[in-house]
Amino acid sequence: MSSHDVMPDMGLYQPVTVEDAAGIARQFSTRGWLVGGGQDTYGWLKDRAKRPEVLIDLKGIESMRGIRETADGIEIGALVTLTELTTNSLITGRYSLLAEAAGRVASPQIRNVGTIAGNVAQDVRCWYYRRGLNCYRAGGNLCYADTPEGMNREHALFNASRCVAVTASDTGPALVALEAQMVIHNGSSERVVSAENFFVGPNIDITHTTVLRPGEILTAVRIPAKWANAEFYFEKVADRNVWDFALVSISAAMRVNNGVIEESRLVAGAVEATPRRLDRIEQAIRGKARNQQTADEVAALAIQGARPLNFNHFKMPLLENLVNRAVRGHA
Amino acid sequence: MTFMHIGKDFTPPDVEGKVTGTARYAEDFRRDGMVFARLLTSPIPSGRVVSIDASEALAMPGVVGIFTADDLPPSAPPANPALAKDFITYVGQPILAVAAESEEIAEAAIERIAIEFERRPFVVDPLDTLVEGGPDPYPMGNTLIREGAAAAAGTTASGTAVGSIKWTRDQIASFRAGRFPTGAPWGEEWAYGDVDANFAQCTTVIEEPFVTIGLPHHSLESRTGMAYWENGKCYFHGSLQSQTVGHAQLARMVDVDPANLVFINENTGGGFGSKIFPYPMMAVTGRFAKALNRPLQLRITRADEFYIGSARSGMQGWIKVGLRDNGRVGAVDIAIIGDAGSGGGASGSSAAEHVSIMYQPEAMRYRGMSLYTNTTPRGAQRGPGQNEMAAVLSPIMDKAGRQAGLDLVELRRINAPGPDALIGPRQGTISSSYYPQAIDQAAELFGWEAKKALPRQISATKVRGIGVGEGYHSAGASGYDGLLRIAPDGKIHLHTGVGNLGTYSYAAVLRAAAETLQCSWENCVIEHGHGENHLPHSTYQGGSNTIFTETRSSHVAALDAIRKMKQIAAADFGGAVDDYSIGGERVFLSSDNSKGYTYAEVAQKAIELGGEYSGQVFAEDLNDTTKRSVQAMQGTGLIAAAKDTLPKTGTTPGFAVAMVEIELDTETGKFDILDYTGIAECGTIIHPKGLRQAMNGGGVWGFGMAAYERHVYDPQNGLPANVGLYQAKPPTYLDVPLHMKSGATDMPDPQSPVGSRGIGEPSQGCAVAALMSAISDALDGHLFNRTPVTADMILNHIAQNDFNTGDLKTNTF
Amino acid sequence: MEIIRYRRDVWGEEVILGVSWDLLWVVAVTALILLAAHAIFMAVLAKKKAKPSSEGPRIKRHDAIDRAFHWIMAGSVLVLILTGIAPIVGLRISWLNIHWIAGLVLTFVVIFHIIRAIFWQDFKAMLLGPSDFKEPFDEKIKPGKYSFEQKGMHWAMTVLVIAVIATGIILFLHINTPWWNRPAVENEATLGIFFLLHGTATLGLIAFTAIHIYFAVRPEKIFYTRSMVTGWISEAEMKENHDTNKWKPE
Ligand SMILES: Cc1cc2nc3c(=O)[nH]c(=O)nc-3n(C[C@H](O)[C@H](O)[C@H](O)COP(=O)(O)OP(=O)(O)OC[C@H]3O[C@@H](n4cnc5c(N)ncnc54)[C@H](O)[C@@H]3O)c2cc1C
Ligand code: SF4
Repeated sequence: MSSHDVMPDMGLYQPVTVEDAAGIARQFSTRGWLVGGGQDTYGWLKDRAKRPEVLIDLKGIESMRGIRETADGIEIGALVTLTELTTNSLITGRYSLLAEAAGRVASPQIRNVGTIAGNVAQDVRCWYYRRGLNCYRAGGNLCYADTPEGMNREHALFNASRCVAVTASDTGPALVALEAQMVIHNGSSERVVSAENFFVGPNIDITHTTVLRPGEILTAVRIPAKWANAEFYFEKVADRNVWDFALVSISAAMRVNNGVIEESRLVAGAVEATPRRLDRIEQAIRGKARNQQTADEVAALAIQGARPLNFNHFKMPLLENLVNRAVRGHA
Repeated sequence: MTFMHIGKDFTPPDVEGKVTGTARYAEDFRRDGMVFARLLTSPIPSGRVVSIDASEALAMPGVVGIFTADDLPPSAPPANPALAKDFITYVGQPILAVAAESEEIAEAAIERIAIEFERRPFVVDPLDTLVEGGPDPYPMGNTLIREGAAAAAGTTASGTAVGSIKWTRDQIASFRAGRFPTGAPWGEEWAYGDVDANFAQCTTVIEEPFVTIGLPHHSLESRTGMAYWENGKCYFHGSLQSQTVGHAQLARMVDVDPANLVFINENTGGGFGSKIFPYPMMAVTGRFAKALNRPLQLRITRADEFYIGSARSGMQGWIKVGLRDNGRVGAVDIAIIGDAGSGGGASGSSAAEHVSIMYQPEAMRYRGMSLYTNTTPRGAQRGPGQNEMAAVLSPIMDKAGRQAGLDLVELRRINAPGPDALIGPRQGTISSSYYPQAIDQAAELFGWEAKKALPRQISATKVRGIGVGEGYHSAGASGYDGLLRIAPDGKIHLHTGVGNLGTYSYAAVLRAAAETLQCSWENCVIEHGHGENHLPHSTYQGGSNTIFTETRSSHVAALDAIRKMKQIAAADFGGAVDDYSIGGERVFLSSDNSKGYTYAEVAQKAIELGGEYSGQVFAEDLNDTTKRSVQAMQGTGLIAAAKDTLPKTGTTPGFAVAMVEIELDTETGKFDILDYTGIAECGTIIHPKGLRQAMNGGGVWGFGMAAYERHVYDPQNGLPANVGLYQAKPPTYLDVPLHMKSGATDMPDPQSPVGSRGIGEPSQGCAVAALMSAISDALDGHLFNRTPVTADMILNHIAQNDFNTGDLKTNTF
Repeated sequence: MEIIRYRRDVWGEEVILGVSWDLLWVVAVTALILLAAHAIFMAVLAKKKAKPSSEGPRIKRHDAIDRAFHWIMAGSVLVLILTGIAPIVGLRISWLNIHWIAGLVLTFVVIFHIIRAIFWQDFKAMLLGPSDFKEPFDEKIKPGKYSFEQKGMHWAMTVLVIAVIATGIILFLHINTPWWNRPAVENEATLGIFFLLHGTATLGLIAFTAIHIYFAVRPEKIFYTRSMVTGWISEAEMKENHDTNKWKPE
């Protein structure tokens, strides 16, 4: 791969309504590329690792901006930046889990332009794939990472099917924990998909990370009131404390009454291609005290079924430890 | 001694531009008619170019030409060619450049060029090529051999060639397992003292393997260059650490008479050793521009910079250390296989030298070799050899010290190199050392004893670790030229050919001239960064050597000016030269200060007198570069130019010691640095802010080397995993402590007129070493025997899951 | 329209990726058109013959075990085709595990069938000889147990199934399974050729499966399908369609 480092010659559309954007997206289908903040886009294009013919810039669509209160919670416009998520009082006040997750994405500069839609719809960060190699995920017929000597320290523990890449999104697990709903528009109609079902693994669709189809636009993310002001725990472990992807992250939301966990959602990031819901843990801690003892009892459940690769065994104790922290409620 | 300027802060003239963004780097320059060139790089790790078909690209509108290895003088392995043809030795190696009216067209053109490659076997780990039957990175072998005789006879251009060295499988296996491989051949060897006899006298003897992984320089400013030719002159905007030392070399590279080369390089965005001298790609920029007869910018992208921007070499080694019962290091035996990448050299011998100076062993033996791999070319990177050695050495020495029941600082103190210290295979002397005091100063500032008494377990999941590390590098040379001009308006123009790496040392060293001339700094004008500013032959900016070397040349230039001013004054006012003094920017009769000239007046006089006073005549021992600059300034003032012939004996050392306290999270493998204290032993402080910056900057990069940065290659296909800057993981501001404490002994080195020596490399070496020591301490003295130690390794160690292999693998996880 | 898909390998060299899935549509459309044409032809032009009665004495045509084999094979082939083309046509299901499990089932059943056919069954009944080729052109010639079309279909399916199995096994070796981990791919070009063969054989299999199903449900042939379920055909059906000199049922 030669590094090109300049944008290719391509078309640019700047629609101002969702309908127009979806129309253009439908027209160009796989030859078009939606762009929000562009932080996951420009690298692909400058490296010529992806070659769409037109960019459809969504930033002019006013209706996709802003954070609003709704009858049942809040609605976050798809163009809301990660920085806004960390400063908006509705988010920091009621859903601090999301604010914390957004605040750990990338670097301040990237957060200033990166959108929530782009963050959840971003592609995986496997370095082989990003190099432009034609692996499974790029539509090819092999994986370079899951080989006897593949450099796969950052790759998946769970549910890999040929592709062993992990989700890179920090907000994705938080949104799954908060039972968010993703509002998807195709120009004429709208469908709403739960965050949990929004992300897809390679067993189902090896070339996409979400259920979004060509021509569909994520217009908003709704967070139900259910988890407002719940007890939250977020932690992301990366090599560096900023400007780095998660090695493992944990997002947890709990309803605790008199010290007893009534209901919880625990979701891990960077351990499989989608945010990983830890339902076994959720079941195991229901009705138990939120303390160290409970945490010690259940944490090992988190790694049941893990299939480590050559260089990512460390993710098992790490996941277990982060689950332990989330359950006990402190680092 | 009280100084006017030395030891005082000042604002270097380039600071404002750096802060406001107006500072210009090579890539910022444009010229009418300029074309843009970009590189096509190799997708394969080893092989050759069979054919190139650029017809389609050349037919594209806006494409103006291509430039290949055939357009350059031939070069043979292991020389690192600017453009490869018969020997492709790493993924990313440039094959050709395409020039076009715009960057976009050039990039589009690159995609239209069809190249047929022939592939060859490749290897990314030195031990994999060293083993019998293992693949070789070059068709002719895997190691550098020196062919002095052949070079003399003119049969090899460089005096070096690629040869082959192999070990048996058993020897490799025992080396991987941390034992010395009996009977194995080595490439180089030195020793002093009776090693075996000294080991026999030691009461504590430990043997450990170690591995350090190479890492890219990734200079923030890539090595983009822009060149244009006008009236037979080549104007070259480039990015080098040194402004003038490589002038003749660069002239040869672009094929122009040195007198007709104007090199422009006001600011350099980092080099870390990779830009000390002109690098191969500069030949392409200059010659391609000439061939097209148009100004040409060859932009080096971030990924290109990873490939061609050099990297630290890694080491796979074995060390045996013996302590006597008094804590003195009795003997050291060390063996190092250095990874030279696809070219350049490893630094095993300098690594061993680090051990020899820092622990002053009674006897020592070093055996080493430099092996090529199909990874990026390696070169000097901040303390090459010394710093990676410091990194792996400190926990190993800690282990020895613990076994001997010694406090870790005490162990260093007992062995610390004082003024009588000896260094290296020849056991040469050093110019001076106050290093033992530096250790005490650090222990005091850090509070070593108090911290040692703190509980190790901070909470259920947090443990404390404290560590100490030492850095060393030779820090000074001599023989370079100083040049200054006092203009008739009284301004003192201080000329320097030192590069401006952002360390401000190019300006700080000139203050030695201002000091000697006893003039105000405000009246001084710094001339640097542009060939037409008439610059002297100055030292290379690298190897911690600027401060010592260039304060000396500044000083001798000032002395030359003073001599000339006194001579002029004595001629006009009578009396002997020695009867005159300077002060207040005047030269005057010491006994009657009304008899004299201001600097402005004396400059005017110099012009009138001509001859040596205003540059018509100059010393023969000046370098040609300096001579040309003097000639160019003839008759414009009082010209002072002199070569530094001040006495210099022994090695000029730069030392630093650091102490680190960390809080390690046993559940995440991550740690916070709670305290960092670094003390420099670099003679007199000439610029306190500059020193602090060097200590902090070196410290930060030391943390990077200890915990984050490394090369990662897939051994199956030779592809590098972390080409991007974010993937290479330099530490960020959230990975380092907000406040880093630093200081210096501030004692003068007798061989420097202002007492100062350099500190660039030791400032990193002490930090990486101290952090490695602290990590080991936090984990009950566990040895990882490697750098870097990343969070995953700490987690694997704590989980005891056996995934930290001790088999000395390098360039991989 | 492309026939073969190419991609760049890890070295940037062009290698085969596999068959172009545009051909899937070509095969589907062609098969549909041909079969529709046949159906129309039969409905409009072909001489209508009275259907022999299914009543009366029953003749055993297939053992229970062979019927089971057939339907297991049929089931696994259909599952393989469906799971194989699901990602191509954009159907989002977790297909790979089902695909290789079905592939294993098919492989074992085929192996059993081959062994049984060679050692325990009248293997010759299925052989295609030169005389069989006269059969379609001469209404007077009646076949033995299997008609020319049946033998032709059988052998075509045999070749295609063996081809998908053989290439499928090679591809199977390149994924993670409970028994082994995926190896490094030494030669991507060779892997591409296996994908190409697997894909091409699959296209053939799809076409022939379509034809097979079509004929299996045609009114004049449906009694064969019934026999594949129940095991018997009526004497009338046998006499109408077979030469009892050549086929002597037990
Ligand atoms: C150096 C670096 C570090 C990073 N670190 C992190 C990290 O630590 N954690 C993390 O989570 N991420 C990280 N990222 C990834 C990512 O770029 C950012 O998180 C950012 O949020 C992406 O948002 P964007 O709007 O810029 O995306 P874009 O590039 O605009 O879009 C990303 C993808 O989403 C699609 N898309 C965008 N908007 C919509 C929409 N409305 N509907 C449908 N599809 C849409 C685009 O087509 C594209 O495929 C990092 C990126 C870089 C370059
Ligand atoms: S892990 Fe996925 S993205 Fe990475 S090389 Fe394998 S298939 Fe491609």
